[in-house]
Amino acid sequence: MKSPLHLAKKEDLRSLGVEEVDESSQKTRTLELMDEFRRFGRSLSVMLETCTRCGACAKACHSYLGTDDFHNIPAARAGLFQTIYNRYFTLSGRAFRRFSGAREFGAETLNSWVNYFYQCTTCRRCAVFCPFGIDTGEVVLAGRNILTRLGIAPHFMVNIGRNELHTGNNTGILKPAIIDSCSFLEEELRDETGLDIKIPVDKPHTDVLYVPSSSELFTNVETLMGAAKIFHYLGTDWTLSSTLLEAANYGLHFDLEVMKKHNHRMHIAAAAVGAKQVLQGECGHGWRVARMYSEGANSPVPFRLNHILPYVADRLPDMKLEKLPMRATLHDPCNYARGAGLVDQPRELMKACVEEFVEMTPNRERNFCCGGGSGLLMDEMLEIRMKLGKMKADQIKSLLPLDYVALPCASCKAQVPLLLKHYGMEEVATGGVIELIGKALVFNRQK
Amino acid sequence: MEFLLGVLFPYTACVVFVSGTILRIAGWLKTPVPFHLTLFPAPNGAMDRIATIASDFFLCRTLFREDKALWLRVWLFHLSLALIIAGHAAGIFFLRNQFVLIGLNPDASQSLSKLLGGIAGIVMVLSLGALLAGRISNPIVRKLSVPEDFCTLLLLIAIAVTGILMYLPGFHADLHAVRSYMGGLIRFRPTMLPHSPMFIVHFLLVNVLLMYFPFSRLFHSAGYFVNRAMLTEAPPVYPTVSGMTRRSPFAAGKAQTNIPPRREPADRGVR
Repeated sequence: MKSPLHLAKKEDLRSLGVEEVDESSQKTRTLELMDEFRRFGRSLSVMLETCTRCGACAKACHSYLGTDDFHNIPAARAGLFQTIYNRYFTLSGRAFRRFSGAREFGAETLNSWVNYFYQCTTCRRCAVFCPFGIDTGEVVLAGRNILTRLGIAPHFMVNIGRNELHTGNNTGILKPAIIDSCSFLEEELRDETGLDIKIPVDKPHTDVLYVPSSSELFTNVETLMGAAKIFHYLGTDWTLSSTLLEAANYGLHFDLEVMKKHNHRMHIAAAAVGAKQVLQGECGHGWRVARMYSEGANSPVPFRLNHILPYVADRLPDMKLEKLPMRATLHDPCNYARGAGLVDQPRELMKACVEEFVEMTPNRERNFCCGGGSGLLMDEMLEIRMKLGKMKADQIKSLLPLDYVALPCASCKAQVPLLLKHYGMEEVATGGVIELIGKALVFNRQK
Repeated sequence: MEFLLGVLFPYTACVVFVSGTILRIAGWLKTPVPFHLTLFPAPNGAMDRIATIASDFFLCRTLFREDKALWLRVWLFHLSLALIIAGHAAGIFFLRNQFVLIGLNPDASQSLSKLLGGIAGIVMVLSLGALLAGRISNPIVRKLSVPEDFCTLLLLIAIAVTGILMYLPGFHADLHAVRSYMGGLIRFRPTMLPHSPMFIVHFLLVNVLLMYFPFSRLFHSAGYFVNRAMLTEAPPVYPTVSGMTRRSPFAAGKAQTNIPPRREPADRGVR
């Protein structure tokens, strides 16, 4: 199948410091890059050389289950990389090609990589099912990085990466617009609660720097408003930063250099406001990058790093909540559950703020990906994304009637409403966990 | 010819096995792990980490959880393999009198040793046959497989079958002769191969396996530990503890991030 991905133009890639490689030197360059990446990180060679092709990963993968395409079986997808790797970098592959399943680099190689590496959401569910714990997402990410360095990357991701580098957020919002949006939201909060709840931007000498998803300024405003209410209620001394308004880090999805640079913004932004603690907002892969990659990318990290869900869950005893009359479920974002170990706190919060909380099956580290992870939110991928989300849709369908699906991740918030529409469940509302807490909060009037 | 097969070949096989294994593992370990790849839920603390890996290793717990049918085949094979390796070491060293140590008389020890070895061998052949059948009958796994996967199984089956055949009267191998031959090899005072065709075939196939091991998928046995160690690493703590060594050269490069916002149309409103 031909991938519908729109690829980035040369000029756009050049702004990330990537020069396109012309077709005649593609093979040499690809092999050089494969060699570079196998020396870069242990996971690539160990995982490629350990898979015994037992097939246990097939039923783990939402991508294979949704598309029924053989090459979306994790082992087969990684195999697109592994056959080439085998041919050029292992003794058995060089000596006995057919025998060990090695394949020459050919005209189709890079095409197959673009096709299938962008149908994986690097959700790590295969690693849970694999008897050796092989995370084929590691192979996919190495493959995507190599493609980027060859000048082949999705237009959508390159644009977002460039925005992150230049403005510190995915959408490219500049400071005046940030301040404007925040004062608008402050007015909304005043209308709703009658209280003077602030959303400070670049406030100096604050304790806590809150790093939201930039989508919280327009599509997911309820989440930012919820966070503002909670901080107001708890008396948290917090601020947003105009230089880092984005928990997401698209560099993880296609270019580690971009990942490193955007991750480094956390240091600059925290230092600028004097924050001792950085709180990440509801963004799945953003939290995985912040928690698991910060040390490897930009060590040493001089501040405390926390996520808003555990931060709020810790303060639950201090908050008076009135349970919302709804039957709600929680979708575990892959990067929380398998990538960063954040599963208990969102549940504590949900149970505290809704009347009926129901679990999806399977859940926690066995939960299915929504199909919108790892930067696949581009419009041209919509049709494929609906297939990638089929398992998620089935999970939600089995819980009907349902009022609310809590999605504490900006990518899930963009994907799941489309899934619900596609699979005929428009009546189910979606949104974050923090926004529910914000709605359930009972303010003391004399404040 | 006898020198070639009985002396040179086994020593070559051992050297290839040991050096190949060490070199490949060293190659993995010298590569840095630039980021934490902890797979959650993750064990807490060193003892928990060891316990998690050990229980997964001995019982194949991941596979048990996810695919019971495959687990049964895989676990029985590995269990019988472990018993057979232990049995070979003990049985050859004590000439099947190892169970005297736990209070049996020599005759009983001989019979018990034969019985256990026989059972383990048959279980091994059956589980290998089931693994092969599974690879062929499941269309997905068949499509994933490469010739190597089938050859590995066939080689193991051949070794197990020749091993069992040595029990049968017609092919009977003289254990005393085998013992003195093996002892000679181990003490670097090699003697000639015992005159038992079935033993010679069995022994040569094992040597082929030893040489094949470091370059084949059989090496998953080493990859398992290296991979599980990465997945169970304790997640990082922030603020970073002072004196922490860098994980990889990637962390050494300074990120150039402080780019002032540029007012180009391309910077805005792309999404």
